[in-house]
Amino acid sequence: MATTANRQPDGPVKEPDFLHVTRGLRSWLLTLDHKRIGMMYLCGILISLIVGGAFALIVRTELWAPGKLFVSGDTYNNFFTLHGAVMVFLVIIPGIPAALGNIIMPIQLGAPDVAFPRLNLASFYLWVAGALLLVLTIPFGSLDTGWTLYTPYSLETKTPVLIAVSGVFLLGFSSIFTGLNFLVTIHKFRPQGMGWFQLPLNVWAIYATAIMQVLATPVLGITVLLLAVERFAHIGIFDPNMGGDPVLFQHFFWFYSHPAVYIMIIPGMGVISELISTFARKPIFGYRFVAYSSVSLALLSFIVWGHHMFVSGQSRLANMVFSALTFTVGIPSAIKVFNWVATLYKGDIRLKTPMLYALGFLLLFTIGGLTGLFLGILSVDVHLHDTYFVVAHFHYVMMGSTLVAFLGALHYWYPKFTGKMYPESLGQLCSLGVFFGFNLTFLPQFVMGSRGMPRRYWDYDPQYQIFHQLSTIGAYVLGISIFISVVSLFWSFKYGKKAPRNPWGGSSLEWQAPTPPTLYNFENPPVLHELYNYDDLEEIEPDVWVRNTPIEDAPARADAIARQTGAVADHTHGASLKEKAISDVHAKAEEVRAEHKLTETSHGRPVDPAKIDQDFKDAAKVSGAGEVMPTAEKVEEVEAKDKPGSVTQGWDVPEVPSDDKEKK
Amino acid sequence: MSTSHDAHADDHGHGHHGSPFVQHHYDDAQHQFDSGKLGIWIFLAQEVLFFSALFVAYILYRVHHGEIYSYAHKWLDVKMGAINTAVLITSSLTAAWAVRCAQLNQRRGLIFCIAATIACACGFLVIKYIEYSHKYHEQILFGRYFDPCETPGGNPLITKSNDCPGRLGTVKWDFGAGKATEGCFESSTIDLDPREPGVQAECEVFEVKLGHDGKPEESSKKPITNVCAPKIGHGEEWEKNKFPCWMPSYQPAVCPDLTDPAKRAQGAAGRPQVGIIVSYGEDDHEHRPHSIIKAECKKPAPPPAVDLTTEVEHHKLELGRGLAKTHVEEHHGHDLLYAGPPPEHTNMFFTIYFAMTGLHGIHVLVGVFVFIWLLIRAIKGQFTPDYFGPVDYAALYWHIVDLIWIFLFPLLYLIV
Repeated sequence: MATTANRQPDGPVKEPDFLHVTRGLRSWLLTLDHKRIGMMYLCGILISLIVGGAFALIVRTELWAPGKLFVSGDTYNNFFTLHGAVMVFLVIIPGIPAALGNIIMPIQLGAPDVAFPRLNLASFYLWVAGALLLVLTIPFGSLDTGWTLYTPYSLETKTPVLIAVSGVFLLGFSSIFTGLNFLVTIHKFRPQGMGWFQLPLNVWAIYATAIMQVLATPVLGITVLLLAVERFAHIGIFDPNMGGDPVLFQHFFWFYSHPAVYIMIIPGMGVISELISTFARKPIFGYRFVAYSSVSLALLSFIVWGHHMFVSGQSRLANMVFSALTFTVGIPSAIKVFNWVATLYKGDIRLKTPMLYALGFLLLFTIGGLTGLFLGILSVDVHLHDTYFVVAHFHYVMMGSTLVAFLGALHYWYPKFTGKMYPESLGQLCSLGVFFGFNLTFLPQFVMGSRGMPRRYWDYDPQYQIFHQLSTIGAYVLGISIFISVVSLFWSFKYGKKAPRNPWGGSSLEWQAPTPPTLYNFENPPVLHELYNYDDLEEIEPDVWVRNTPIEDAPARADAIARQTGAVADHTHGASLKEKAISDVHAKAEEVRAEHKLTETSHGRPVDPAKIDQDFKDAAKVSGAGEVMPTAEKVEEVEAKDKPGSVTQGWDVPEVPSDDKEKK
Repeated sequence: MSTSHDAHADDHGHGHHGSPFVQHHYDDAQHQFDSGKLGIWIFLAQEVLFFSALFVAYILYRVHHGEIYSYAHKWLDVKMGAINTAVLITSSLTAAWAVRCAQLNQRRGLIFCIAATIACACGFLVIKYIEYSHKYHEQILFGRYFDPCETPGGNPLITKSNDCPGRLGTVKWDFGAGKATEGCFESSTIDLDPREPGVQAECEVFEVKLGHDGKPEESSKKPITNVCAPKIGHGEEWEKNKFPCWMPSYQPAVCPDLTDPAKRAQGAAGRPQVGIIVSYGEDDHEHRPHSIIKAECKKPAPPPAVDLTTEVEHHKLELGRGLAKTHVEEHHGHDLLYAGPPPEHTNMFFTIYFAMTGLHGIHVLVGVFVFIWLLIRAIKGQFTPDYFGPVDYAALYWHIVDLIWIFLFPLLYLIV
């Protein structure tokens, strides 16, 4: 019944979609629907993105030549501070989790809404209030402390620190409540049969992010609260004149802001896992490793904050410990990158706009991550600290990775929640513009940073001019590309082509939902299929994918697919242990042949029964690899236990949730 | 077309699963309860982290400046703190009891327990208010406003603001004019020549008991240490910037070099003064005729290489006859007695004290409003054994607020 609906992706949906359920401004402003709240976030974030980008362009333009070009030094300070604060607090942190996560994550879970819709709306308004307070600093003289608000300067400056930190406090609680909401949603709203390892990796990433949002952001809250109290009541906690410790502020700040960097990047990684698997038409390589690496990144993020403070007067011991811990971050990050690359290997890659962004992400994140290792080395950091090298490094991670992933995700899910397609070739063009513009902007910054150009300086030595000019040209290419793609997305919302239910052939639940989804996301309870298995998805016309008889419904077909690909048929009902063993042996023999160049490998072509003996001989060449084929007795023994019809791993009891929901 | 889906918002309030408070997107009441419970636990984890920065600050300053803590915590009133601890624990009990009452559908008990919790919370805030206002009057505040009138033992301290009415008897002695400018001097034999360059005076203050005949008994002479006599400067009465000013009784007073015409031109203002502060309680005025306070000042021998001719002169200064009972005697034998001047940056203790207890107090205040909201709902009879989530969540919140206080009390009040 549900599957019938899936086979007619563009068939009529009886219920109105969430965009048209109710009308009028009030129905949006007071909505409790996670998709509408997410879309309001998205609008706010895109506007902030353009504003923050404009500030960046002002900064870059001023740096075209040494000396004053068109803004004074003080104004320059205001602009780079605003650029940082707007981009970090208003765009990147809420970008993927609060906006796209809100829209997509509950649908990926097959849930009707997030756990606490009212809290969700409250989070949104906290975000709005925080954003307005940040904007309010502009008429009051504008902030000049940098987004990091370091004491003691932030205690002395005449600029409106109090307003800014109030805004940051509210934004922090917006983030905390969003994280709390998502944690509960992921725990309590998975349909029956969707275990932790049947979650889309995007959900895993949002889960890891939510842990950090809930546990790290309160520390930012109390820190800016203390800073605010310090400003108006002079309690002295960060004021060395009264015995306070300004470095303590840095510790507190980075205890939040380092996890915040991961709050920014991990959702991006989740998105990339989805994009790469979908557009390579291959199951994600090493699902569990990718999932676990998100969580381990989240946990590691709490113990490396000191690497921002190598030259802030920490003890030498602390420096060494933080430096060593910093390198451990490389492990989960590398696991992810290798798994993505392995997923791409021999994939049927389709270069749609989201995929172009994803591939850009891979390269940019690798550069950003590796240059992070440079900065983690104590001796190198002393030289590179507070130079453009650092600026380039964190832009590669925050912007080159997170923002690029955000744009990719936006294009990927855009058809789902708006019901419209964006112009594909324009999207592709913009994604290339973003990629090349970005590299042109920030690669020269690595060079001039390593040559000693300090960050945040308004004036500079003429020897750096060529790098600044390249960077500025790149910034304009980047800015224009993003601007065009944002405008084209707004344009397509009204004028775009109607989107089908599943334009990319995605396997997760949101592609079963109507496009755009109905109020409670699904007109029928969704059916769980094996995640990241694209065998039964077929593109019947460009950008319209349908699910043929799902392999879960037809074990014989699943076996046929498995044999075609030479894969072990462990995700099907039909395969007997004996069949699986043969498939195992075949795979093993393939490996051996590839290693020893015995004969031409079959590249996973079907197992030829006549050649099974040869497979055995070849596989045995690994020597001592143990039993390659279970003995007949053992097979019978195991098969007696493993009754036919029992559920195999990967997808449990798909029918149960539908029964359960129908009761109501 | 949209009739069945009228205003999403409305649907959230009125589910269709039995209890009127189960929202539409939950499977059933249990699902809603479990979700809320997980949510509140996560929120509590957030609360712990919210307070964590303050605990870290506490630990750091304690490790680096332990002397500040062991000195300053004596200013806090352990009795008040202990009473507050008891009050909060009681309120936690009533909060937990309220949950039980809700589960058992005992409406009256529920209302009583919630009301008792609110009462305890308010009681806590009142006691905290008393403590705070006492500290406000004593100027034992945070950061810049830390300007205490007394040491924890009741010894006087010179304050930056000199705004400790009724606390300190301030006596300033003008060497040149030969009289007290303030306070309750009766006579003086001190005679230092202000025109003599580089003259110093060192004063020692004694308490001398009066005999039955009303005359001082020299044998009962006992040095008083709760005296603050700061160094005198050139025409300045006190070294105001040197704070806190606590000094032992034996003080050198440096006379300016009035051979310098510029200084002589300042006239009386250029004359040296010695200020001696003796503490007496307001009620001490009643008991004057038991003893007198005397100050003996002397000109110490200058370094021989400088001036061989100067003799050592003794001077007597009789201060306020009949300052009978000083705090010294009142607290005799007490540990807090003779607490010296506060160590540098003692203000940091109160920064942390007020930050921690203040943030905790805000949480208590929020708790009061939450429980008032619960009380209204309980009176309306909205809680049933099937729907008592809010009571449970609020009680959990209340327990963490309680728990934080359980940590604050020993950390701030008890640990030496």
